[in-house]
Amino acid sequence: MDFSFTKKEEEYRRTLRIWLEENLPEGWIEGKRDLPENEEEQAQFLRDWQKKMNDGGWVAIAWPEKYGGQSASVIEEIIYHQEMVRAGAPHLINYIGIHMVGPTLMDIGTEEQREKFIPKILNAEEVWCQGYSEPNAGSDLSALKTSAVKQGDKWIINGQKVWTSYGHLADRCFLLARTSNLEKKHKGITVFLVDMKQPGVEVRPIIQMNGKHDFNEVYFNDAVAYDEEIVGEIDEGWKVMINLMLHERTGIGAQIFTLEKQFSDLVLLTNELKENGQPLIKDPFTRQKMVELYTRCRGVLLTYYRNITTSMKRGYPGAESSMDKLMSSELTKDLFEFAVSIQGHQGVLWKEDALANPFWQLDYLSSFGVTIGGGTSEVQRNTIGERLLGLPKDLR
Amino acid sequence: MDFSLNEEQEMFRGSVRKYLDGGGQTKIAREMAKNNTNLLTKTWKGLAQLGCMGITVKEEYGGAELTTVDQVPVLEELGRALLPGLYLETVAFAAPMIEKFGTTEQKEKYLPGIADGSRTISLAWLEPGKCFNLNDIQMTAKFDGDSMILNGSKTLVPEGNLADTYLVLVRSESETDGKGISFVLVDRNDDGVDYRVLQAMDETRHLTEVNFKNVIVSNSRILGELHRGEDAIEEGLLYLNAALTSIMVGGMDKIVEMCAEYAKIRVQFGQPIGRFQAIKHRIADMKLDLETARSLSYYAVWALDEKAEDAAVAVNSARAFITEAYLRLAGHGIQIHGGIGVTEEIDCHLYLKRAQYYQTYLGNSRLYREKAATALNW
Ligand SMILES: Cc1cc2nc3c(=O)[nH]c(=O)nc-3n(C[C@H](O)[C@H](O)[C@H](O)COP(=O)(O)OP(=O)(O)OC[C@H]3O[C@@H](n4cnc5c(N)ncnc54)[C@H](O)[C@@H]3O)c2cc1C
Repeated sequence: MDFSFTKKEEEYRRTLRIWLEENLPEGWIEGKRDLPENEEEQAQFLRDWQKKMNDGGWVAIAWPEKYGGQSASVIEEIIYHQEMVRAGAPHLINYIGIHMVGPTLMDIGTEEQREKFIPKILNAEEVWCQGYSEPNAGSDLSALKTSAVKQGDKWIINGQKVWTSYGHLADRCFLLARTSNLEKKHKGITVFLVDMKQPGVEVRPIIQMNGKHDFNEVYFNDAVAYDEEIVGEIDEGWKVMINLMLHERTGIGAQIFTLEKQFSDLVLLTNELKENGQPLIKDPFTRQKMVELYTRCRGVLLTYYRNITTSMKRGYPGAESSMDKLMSSELTKDLFEFAVSIQGHQGVLWKEDALANPFWQLDYLSSFGVTIGGGTSEVQRNTIGERLLGLPKDLR
Repeated sequence: MDFSLNEEQEMFRGSVRKYLDGGGQTKIAREMAKNNTNLLTKTWKGLAQLGCMGITVKEEYGGAELTTVDQVPVLEELGRALLPGLYLETVAFAAPMIEKFGTTEQKEKYLPGIADGSRTISLAWLEPGKCFNLNDIQMTAKFDGDSMILNGSKTLVPEGNLADTYLVLVRSESETDGKGISFVLVDRNDDGVDYRVLQAMDETRHLTEVNFKNVIVSNSRILGELHRGEDAIEEGLLYLNAALTSIMVGGMDKIVEMCAEYAKIRVQFGQPIGRFQAIKHRIADMKLDLETARSLSYYAVWALDEKAEDAAVAVNSARAFITEAYLRLAGHGIQIHGGIGVTEEIDCHLYLKRAQYYQTYLGNSRLYREKAATALNW
């Protein structure tokens, strides 16, 4: 057992840290980290940032060098996420392209697809979204109805997607559509790489309960895709999905390190807030609760490390990532709930009138989405029960 | 970075498990409940032969001089089998304490016996009607030249009827504020030592009240610095609690395993109950608690070995989390087994009672969370 990083790994950390210090947007290091309010300006800011990261070689470090990555090890990925969170670096706007679409194209895509899409994923020239969920196909994705019908050399796409994160910014969509109606629901689904900027695609914003706009409804009315835009085999899109989901592993790491940062911000908050002239952290109830949260944060992080060790030894990631997802998302919710509750009656105020930084209130409300997006907590529990503990499958 | 036990450690675990399963697993504990200690004595000898007792003891005293992490597989297996006895107090606590604070004479007297399994040591701290605050220690040591006279009572002493030696916390100076305490090694056979076995809810443990009436022992029995026991006990508690987390993880592991197995075979409404999400999801949550506990426990032990800066935080917070998680799991374990779960016949209750016993062993989780908060400089 060993929790330490090697000299070489620490060297890697230093190189990245220095690069970030020299290249982060102005004012960032000093703590002025506000993104532009205006949606378009913000998108441009984030695209520029990702391009800069890419020029430095820091966008998709785990990818093979031949595709513009660094062939980084799993440990280097951990360090990477730690440093990005530590620096509070702006997020990469093409998260979906980098963590899901790119690796899937490398595994399953054609040479032409790789050449055409991968460089533009890296430099944020083409931002991606994923179009899976539909009004009547959420946890049960196999119920999806969006159809793609072959007409000559084209595929004509009709249907509606929902909760499409980044949909309003995206140039391309990794889309699941039904191409045949066989008995088996998992059969007959095909993956298309669809151009979002064509006439048949309409994106309508959905505003979340904290007033933010992260996801959308997307309507396809006779939108068009071509044979070259199919990933894997026709009707075999389910297999492509399974492959793609394996790539979500490192994405969870970013969430877990963010959680660590949020916890240390919470410690600062409990030092700032006073009750009877004493910092709240001195109050016995708050201390007890804070140690409990601390312990759970450590538990999530250390379990993530253990699961990584397991998958490194086994050679591929497994269902353990459902534990990481379930634990970290449920804990995120509890952490923000506590952060708002310790603000007492002032906790009901937000935005300009918030007692502390208003992100506590905003993120508290967003935290309700993390136990739903990417597979609900209930679905994760099914996976843990069935795949890790061997319990019988749900009746389907 | 490699966050797992290595191959040798896992192999060692395998042989300990095989041995304990061969001995009847929880049967050893059940025999204790019937006041029959023969099976425990036999098992203790067997474990000693496997090399379980001297893992961290220096080679010159007959040990293997390995790390605390190497002891983890044994502790987890003892926890799975609910082994009674004094492994925790003797091997995981007294041995490192004597190694660290003992005189050469004390090391020579106690360590070889610990390493070969011929000597057991229990911890005598709590006094009747008192709590684990050091100010509450009233048992006295009065000095008379080279020797001292001990008077007082200790309670909830684990297996006080079996231990060869007690590590006793005594008031050697009238000072309070957590000071004026010393550790003394007293043998069960010393004149004036008397004990009474108490009725414990966890009947597989023989908790005892030990009375010391004008016990005269040499000053050379003092472990560590005279009157300065508070530092030694804090350090010793880290070792003890780190080991305790491993034991509890072992118990939790067994509970999850039993529940998953039962949920696969018990059929109701025409299907295995494990297909019902009310059951499946509960076991999934238990698995999360188990793996969280295991991660916290591994790190705590590792941090202690490495003398990491956050060792005290890691041990104290892990101890608090895991005692609660263990009790939670044990309760779920009974519910999942239904009616049979509350019977004497099935093991579920043994785990519940053991979990309840550890809840307050040497302090409750509120105390350990407070210790963690202090160690975090909060
Ligand atoms: C912030 C956020 C971002 C998202 N981004 C995207 C995106 O970019 N692209 C995209 O395609 N989708 C996205 N989603 C959609 C997300 O994948 C779905 O919301 C999710 O899979 C759940 O589907 P649903 O909302 O239809 O809920 P439902 O599936 O209708 O679930 C409703 C309730 O029933 C429970 N339930 C359902 N099935 C089971 C079962 N088998 N066993 C037990 N309980 C069950 C659920 O757990 C939930 O509590 C996003 C969602 C969120 C919140």
